[in-house]
Amino acid sequence: MVTCYNIITIAVNECRTQKLVEYFKAQMRKNPDMASAVAAIRTLLEFLKRDKGETILGLRENLTWATDCLTGVDSSVAVSSGGELFLRFISLTSLEHQVCCLLPWEGVCDLTLAIANLCFSVFQDLSRCKKVMEERGELFLEKISMSRTKVAKLCHTFIKDGTKILTHSYSRVVLRVLEKAAAEKKRFSVYVTESQPDSAGRQMAEALRKLNVPVTVVLDAAVGYVLEKVDLVIIGAEGVVESGLYHKIGTYQMAVCSKAHNKPFYVVAESFKFVRLYPLNQQDVPDKFKYKADTLKTVQNLSEEHPMIDYTPPSLITLLFTDLGVLTPSAVSDELIKLYL
Amino acid sequence: MDEEELVEYFKAQMRKNPDMASAVAAIRTLLEFLKRDKGETILGLRENLTWATDCLTGVDSSVAVSSGGELFLRFISLTSLEHQDLSRCKKVMEERGELFLEKISMSRTKVAKLCHTFIKDGTKILTHSYSRVVLRVLEKAAAEKKRFSVYVTESQPDSAGRQMAEALRKLNVPVTVVLDAAVGYVLEKVDLVIIGAEGVVESGGIINKIGTYQMAVCSKAHNKPFYVVAESFKFVRLYPLNQQDVPDKFKYKADTLKTVQNLSEEHPMIDYTPPSLITLLFTDLGVLTPSAVSDELIKLYL
Repeated sequence: MVTCYNIITIAVNECRTQKLVEYFKAQMRKNPDMASAVAAIRTLLEFLKRDKGETILGLRENLTWATDCLTGVDSSVAVSSGGELFLRFISLTSLEHQVCCLLPWEGVCDLTLAIANLCFSVFQDLSRCKKVMEERGELFLEKISMSRTKVAKLCHTFIKDGTKILTHSYSRVVLRVLEKAAAEKKRFSVYVTESQPDSAGRQMAEALRKLNVPVTVVLDAAVGYVLEKVDLVIIGAEGVVESGLYHKIGTYQMAVCSKAHNKPFYVVAESFKFVRLYPLNQQDVPDKFKYKADTLKTVQNLSEEHPMIDYTPPSLITLLFTDLGVLTPSAVSDELIKLYL
Repeated sequence: MDEEELVEYFKAQMRKNPDMASAVAAIRTLLEFLKRDKGETILGLRENLTWATDCLTGVDSSVAVSSGGELFLRFISLTSLEHQDLSRCKKVMEERGELFLEKISMSRTKVAKLCHTFIKDGTKILTHSYSRVVLRVLEKAAAEKKRFSVYVTESQPDSAGRQMAEALRKLNVPVTVVLDAAVGYVLEKVDLVIIGAEGVVESGGIINKIGTYQMAVCSKAHNKPFYVVAESFKFVRLYPLNQQDVPDKFKYKADTLKTVQNLSEEHPMIDYTPPSLITLLFTDLGVLTPSAVSDELIKLYL
């Protein structure tokens, strides 16, 4: 039986969800160049500041709930992984050097709680604890805002004069890399796939034309045709998993064809996109990432919908450029363990 | 018969029977041209027919029209032309022409008969764009009461795949349209890939709608059989080694070639798939491996 109290709670939750979503959308609108995960983390930080909870556990639950809300708005892998990393980072305070490494997954939640409780007992006072968490949150945000620049600095050296590059769909990281290379006065040309169903590739082509880079838009079907002419393939990532990569649909076949033609296949991604999943094939990708958030809410029969992302196994990837350094696909697992401690 | 009449007749043939391959329409047109030709020598006749084939290629720049025309010419000349007067010779050639036309009208049915046995109950098939031969094969399989489902690629830039999906729905075959970008994604689920061909080249490779090459590479990576169905008049004496070797007159539509200056801005309409990626070719000459294509081509073009 639904009591009065329950109705009120539901109403309050609706209100809170709405405010959260509004703030998130405002952040995205203000700065369209920002990654959606960064906007999500700003939103979570704001949520933390405004939260009126009385216990550490309550705070943690609220933050987890907030992350789920945001994933419901923008179903990208990065928002989900970014939110999770934010939570871990802020809980891991100056006591972290006393903690041993390589804990199992189930133990981590308890660990965060244990650290938070320790922190609480040390600081004697929830508001001080919250302040520390907020400072950590700001630090985290600052670190990841610099990540795209770090990636660009690492990657642009691989682009030499006369290089022909193939890229897929619209990726702000790849755009930053190409901007840096263009700023270094390198002469290169780019082929972008049109990337149906939203033709995001055309947006990329527009942005590249503004940089005076010769760019050609090719059909998704023309990837095999054009691969003979290109020297290397650079793509972004929506999420980096322990066993490979999630990105816009069409990436997987681009990777297979690059392997067949022996062209290097480079991936550029910030570290907050690392997520603890281990898919083995295309079906293992969770539905909540495969389809847009609106589609998931409205459509009954998902098999009629076009999936938005696909999974690329690590054997097809040459190198990953991240703000943690240049990694081979097998090194991703190690980095993930260090991140998610 | 001058150029305008030729083109008109060709277009009329295409309109009358949209299910007919454009090469068959071209051959009917050439036969009509032969009947109306008023040349005085065999050499003149030959030259006129070659000129007519070029005209038709200018209207419909598909490989099949070009190869079909050439094969027609060879077939009708492959007979004893040691007659006293030209009209008798012409008569013999016309009879041969009619015979050729009859043979190739049956070719799609022969191909369908060969291929449908490879489709078993519960098979999931992937195909690319709109191909009347593949449609005929699937019709035959459906008529044999087989239960199978089909994934068709949308095939930009003209979305021909949707037309294919429509035709398959009429046959009550469960069909799903997928994006060109989703081929790698969907290949895990399918059992085999069947595609048509615009032209079959000497190396055993094929020329087909853009997107076929990457479908072939991905099928190879997933170890799925890659079957090609083509009539024998599509065999053409070209030997491309990579995508750039395919002549421009086949790559772009005839109208595009006439109007556009800078072809590098245009989307190519076809690509070349090397023979190493093809499992089997189903033709009216039989079921061939890609390496057998050269032999058959030699026999055809003697």
